[in-house]
Amino acid sequence: MIFGLPPLTWALIALFAPAAAALVIGVVAPLRKQGKPAAYLAVGVAALSLFAAIALLVRQLGAPGQVLVATTRWLPSSGQTLAEIGVRLDGISVPMLLVVTLVAACVQVFSLGYMADEPPPAFGRYFGYHSLFIFSMNTLVLAPNVLQLFAGWELVGLTSYLLIGFYWQKPSAARAAVKAFWTTKLADMGFVAGVVLLFVATGGFGWTAPSDPKLHMWIGLGLFLAVMGKSAQFPLHVWLPDAMEGPTPVSALLHAATMVAAGVYLIVRANPLFQAVEVRELMTWLGAFTALFAATIAVVQTDIKKVLAYSTCSQLGYMVSALGAGSLMGGYFHLTTHAAFKALLFLGAGSVIHAVHSNELGDMGYLWPKMKVTALTFIVGALALAGVPGLAGFFSKDLILEALYEKQLWGPLGMLMAAAFLTAFYMGRVVFLAFFGKRTKKTERAHESGPTMVAPLILLAAVAASAGYFGKSLAKMYGTAYHFHLGAVGGVATALGLGGLLLAYLVYGKGSVPESSFAFLAPVGRLARSGAVDKLYLFGFQKVALGLAGAIGWFDRYVVDGLINLLGWATIMGGRRVRKLQTGNVSDYVYAVIAGAVVLATWGILR
Amino acid sequence: MSLQPLLLLSAALFCVGIYGVVSRRNAVGILLSVELMMNAVNINLVGFAHYHASHVGQVFAVFSIALTVAEVVVGLALVILLSRARKDIAVDSAEALRG
Amino acid sequence: MDPIAFGIVAACLLLAALFVVTSKNLVHAVLWLALTLATTAVLFVLLQAPFLAGIQILLYTGGVITLMLFGVMLTRRHERVFIENETAPRRRVPALLAASVLFGVIASATYRTPGLPAGPGRTVPADEIGRSFLGEHLLAFEVLSVLLLIAMIGAIVLARKADFGKEQSRVIPVRGEKAT
Repeated sequence: MIFGLPPLTWALIALFAPAAAALVIGVVAPLRKQGKPAAYLAVGVAALSLFAAIALLVRQLGAPGQVLVATTRWLPSSGQTLAEIGVRLDGISVPMLLVVTLVAACVQVFSLGYMADEPPPAFGRYFGYHSLFIFSMNTLVLAPNVLQLFAGWELVGLTSYLLIGFYWQKPSAARAAVKAFWTTKLADMGFVAGVVLLFVATGGFGWTAPSDPKLHMWIGLGLFLAVMGKSAQFPLHVWLPDAMEGPTPVSALLHAATMVAAGVYLIVRANPLFQAVEVRELMTWLGAFTALFAATIAVVQTDIKKVLAYSTCSQLGYMVSALGAGSLMGGYFHLTTHAAFKALLFLGAGSVIHAVHSNELGDMGYLWPKMKVTALTFIVGALALAGVPGLAGFFSKDLILEALYEKQLWGPLGMLMAAAFLTAFYMGRVVFLAFFGKRTKKTERAHESGPTMVAPLILLAAVAASAGYFGKSLAKMYGTAYHFHLGAVGGVATALGLGGLLLAYLVYGKGSVPESSFAFLAPVGRLARSGAVDKLYLFGFQKVALGLAGAIGWFDRYVVDGLINLLGWATIMGGRRVRKLQTGNVSDYVYAVIAGAVVLATWGILR
Repeated sequence: MSLQPLLLLSAALFCVGIYGVVSRRNAVGILLSVELMMNAVNINLVGFAHYHASHVGQVFAVFSIALTVAEVVVGLALVILLSRARKDIAVDSAEALRG
Repeated sequence: MDPIAFGIVAACLLLAALFVVTSKNLVHAVLWLALTLATTAVLFVLLQAPFLAGIQILLYTGGVITLMLFGVMLTRRHERVFIENETAPRRRVPALLAASVLFGVIASATYRTPGLPAGPGRTVPADEIGRSFLGEHLLAFEVLSVLLLIAMIGAIVLARKADFGKEQSRVIPVRGEKAT
């Protein structure tokens, strides 16, 4: 067998090879400054990680139920070990590992072409960050307990910050990076609280549910808050669209396929902790609402990356909703398929942006004859997302909707159905506007991207087209059964998806239905475009938080500082008085000594 | 005869010395008064030695005398220094330590 | 101890001491101090401490008084000011008050202490004191000798400092400057 090494070795290679690469790129300045060598090192390491993941997956498929845990003591304190660190290889972590490394490898290869115009030092830095990200994400994925998962969670947050702010010279990018960081950190407070409560409740960091139902609920809510931040659920989704300020391949890897999915992964991984009824209901409804809400906003975006960003929010909503409804398989399956086709879509968008040097759909147009491969692969991704039968999204989305239908959760089901229609519509809109629209000066100059960019597109398109058929093996590894059957729900959803595509064709492709006929929806569009949630946060921050800070600041300045100043003033005044005692005159000191002697002697006599 | 008159004599001598220390302005005058006080101390020591018929009090009186000599030597050196620096050895004109 | 002899000695002692602190002329004050110290030596004889009486005469009346006189002479720049051992008039009253209060306290303490009869009395021979220095009080003795050495060096340094500085700057050119 070619994968002769023991599985643990493969896992450690997948984990530490990227870490070593990041370290080398970070420390060896000449390597980084040259750009290209660092990039090749990073890509090589990513390929190695991918190979390790494939080896592990093959092994896992050979014996689906097996679980391999290897840990070492961490945080030893007074004889007992507070926590452990290590790797856990099972039916959940191994497929996720493959998803991460596959998308990462594709994205890195793509970046070789996409980022080629960057100055060499920035180019090297970029790949250093990528290696760091793979290490962080693998730490998270392979975590054997919640604490290590949290460490990885924060590390990917850091790399996300670094990569969003990659063009740090641009003020908007720097702001977006800070916004992403702050928003997710705010949510991570929930994670910290959850982990601490978990330790209090169970004395460890494993993912067994605590017996106390109240604590169980609070742990679940705390962790879910972190999920809302990381996986961009309403109302903490605001950072994700702004995160599009980062390079497009970064958006593909972090903000579409893997990092934002970490929240969903957490729910799957530590599922027992999310089993409190309240938490599950919140997940179901909030996920469904996010799916619909983000989809409506996606419809009116004019920036191709923003459309995809809101689409990501929406699809993550699907997953969260499914997990809330108890369909772990549905959420996890959709996570993997979504990773494939959304990464594909982002890379396709990157290819287009690279060609026309603009994010705006208005600057694109009749690109189809110029960039056939990009267009074809993008269309495959779009159809997969829209849920066209036979492609990846169709199977996983169907599974989610079926699960909701089984649980008779009509409200969320309705929202998800509407979202499915809108998804198809906005993807159709993007395709028609970008590839089959009018010719412009920019589209005339566009040309197909180089081989390093096209090859990942083709690979991911193949995955996106076929991923749906791996549901059975995934389910087997996961330990559940999965049979695909197209029921009434699936039929309706498919019909809605096709209807959305048709409507998009009529409006943007054929032009037979003018856009103005949707004028009655204009208020919705305006609301969506206006960033109402952002404004709400701004209001909350400026008025409430700053007001509170002002009040506390006033208290601190005038009351607390006042007391301190009063004390200081009293000391100075007292000192001024007391220093008069020091006359510098010898006889006064003698008098003092005499007085002391008299007092002591008198006391001695009278005692 | 009891020891008390001797102690009273010593106390009186000491207080005279105190009076001199406080009332004198001249630094040498103060040193003289300090000598008086030390002398009172010596009388006390010798008196108690006599009372106990012991040699220890006398030994300490010798120590005390040697200390006094050392003190006088350094004190006079300081007074000379002061007189050089200020052309004046009146102690109340040297009040640089006033707060 | 003969009370009459003690009375005479005590009276002389106190009188001489009072002149020390009140005499206007500083040289006179020093001489009164000499008398005080000599009278103390007589008192020591009465207290059967002849060795101490000798030391008192040698060290005090001889050494210290000579030193004091030198001190007076050396600091006498403006004769009128320094020979005159003035006591500031406005200081006399508080000084007197303080001294009397202190004396009152000590005297009352002395009287409150019950029964202090005269000791058996014994003339301590000088060799006993000498053995004591080199025996049980050896450490204190050695420390005292070091102290005296330090006092000597300190006095020399203090008194000659200014001269040293002047001479040095006069003789040795600093950093190649021209000697002045």
